[in-house]
Amino acid sequence: MDGDPLRASTVRKVYERRGESPVEALQGVSLVVRPAERIALLGRNGAGKTTFLRIASTLLAPTSGSVTVFCHDVASEPELVRPLIAVVPQEGKPFFHLTPREQIYTYLRTRGFGRDEAKRRTEEALLQMELSEFADRLNITLSGGQRQRTMVATVIATEAPLLFLDEPTIGLDPFARRRVWESLRRLTRVGSTILLTTHYLDEAEALSDRLYIIERGRVLVDGTAASLKAEVGGSVRISIEGGERARPIFASFGNALLDGGILHVITTPERVPEALALAARERLATTIGPVTLEEAFLRVVGRSIDAE
Amino acid sequence: MAASHAFRGLQAFTFTELFVQLHEITAILTSLVVQVILLIFVAILDPKLIGLALMGAILFSLFTLGQRVQNEAAYIRIDHKLDQLYLTSPLAPESYFFGMSVAVLLAYLPPIAVLVAVTAYVTGFSLLTALILLAGGAGLWLFSCSIGYIVSTFFRDMRAIWSYASIFYNVFGVLPPVFYPIGELPAFLRPVALVVPPSAAAGLAQWSVHRSVLSGGEVLLASVALGVEALLTFYIAILWARRSVREP
Repeated sequence: MDGDPLRASTVRKVYERRGESPVEALQGVSLVVRPAERIALLGRNGAGKTTFLRIASTLLAPTSGSVTVFCHDVASEPELVRPLIAVVPQEGKPFFHLTPREQIYTYLRTRGFGRDEAKRRTEEALLQMELSEFADRLNITLSGGQRQRTMVATVIATEAPLLFLDEPTIGLDPFARRRVWESLRRLTRVGSTILLTTHYLDEAEALSDRLYIIERGRVLVDGTAASLKAEVGGSVRISIEGGERARPIFASFGNALLDGGILHVITTPERVPEALALAARERLATTIGPVTLEEAFLRVVGRSIDAE
Repeated sequence: MAASHAFRGLQAFTFTELFVQLHEITAILTSLVVQVILLIFVAILDPKLIGLALMGAILFSLFTLGQRVQNEAAYIRIDHKLDQLYLTSPLAPESYFFGMSVAVLLAYLPPIAVLVAVTAYVTGFSLLTALILLAGGAGLWLFSCSIGYIVSTFFRDMRAIWSYASIFYNVFGVLPPVFYPIGELPAFLRPVALVVPPSAAAGLAQWSVHRSVLSGGEVLLASVALGVEALLTFYIAILWARRSVREP
């Protein structure tokens, strides 16, 4: 396979519906995904992550711009792109009247794998997603999390060169999320490339080699989680109740990021005792912790990832 | 596009869908309820017409398979989003549509085979009638599955599709002369009935057992109409299957 797994150049998408004003979901998104990378598209609901993924996976036509997968244009050569990709759709569900084992096996057969290879991969994927116990129960009888794991297992079993996962861990418990993360890490070790969307900051931080923060259809920033956190301007976050009122009091301690009624002050460890003492004098409740991607997101976007 | 490429993955996807359909055993077992009720009406009102109505029941059963394809395609797209899993894979979109249609046919064939056996026992039909039922049934299946698949792609809500499907398949499957002789229609409506696929197939079957007098021109009209409609809608569905993968 030649070229980068994915290259997007100034992709725009305008949804036009009769009787409604056009909605520009993507406003010139450009990004590059290199071989064996795990890339996260991070953004709030409606930021344009899924729209981008649908365009890149040949399901939606862009209004302008281009996306190539291993040098094949997704708009003009979808037949060449599809064998190279596999997609976990957002809120997708397996066939209710198949078992996880049947779902994975038949999907692999549909993709052209031989019987033995499909069986081997099916068992491996069931094991990785810890689905063996439920492998022969109909999907309709499984919990939402088990169904979601079946969807992820179905796709990771393909070991396709490029995988798109749209919110792959939504609805999963913390243990299951970590199992998914580990499987995705294993996939990139064997050469697959992964582009996932998420609005879980810890997921983006734990899983991605690089991430793109998308807001209102634009890429605002890209980099590693560490580089984005470094740009916040400190290693410690002191969160103070009182919001805007508290800002002038703590102005000298470092960057102050307002998130609703909470003021996050980003500072250095040396200044923490002084800041806490000041907060105590002012009778302001505080919490303290390391700077996370949440503060980086807040700095870049101006709002929390959960803000509507 | 080479045929092998256009129908890549057909066998495997047909097998997948057949597996899914066979789990819906209640739906398969109850697929003849409407037909049996109509047969009871005919048996009470005019027992002489029972053979004709049985042939109509076979054709109606094949026609309503399109409704099942329509519901299945819409359901796995709207509710499960599985179209996104399969249509972004090497599986050809044509195989997705046609595999679903073949799987539905195979799953629902046993009850239809029972109807065929009963019809053969009651009417003792000729080779010509058997061939007409086979060709007409195949044409009806192809036509209705094609329409069903195309229509399924326009809906965004399952509730809307249920009411639509019920109207379409009952109006075109029960209202025209499928369960009653085409000769009962006023003369001016006969050409219309002969170009509506279910009644075209039924008209030809009735003609073959001499229960309806059709002129040579009418036989030709029904045959050509059914053949052209089946092949044309199938061709459009094949094109649409590929085109509709990517939203504009």
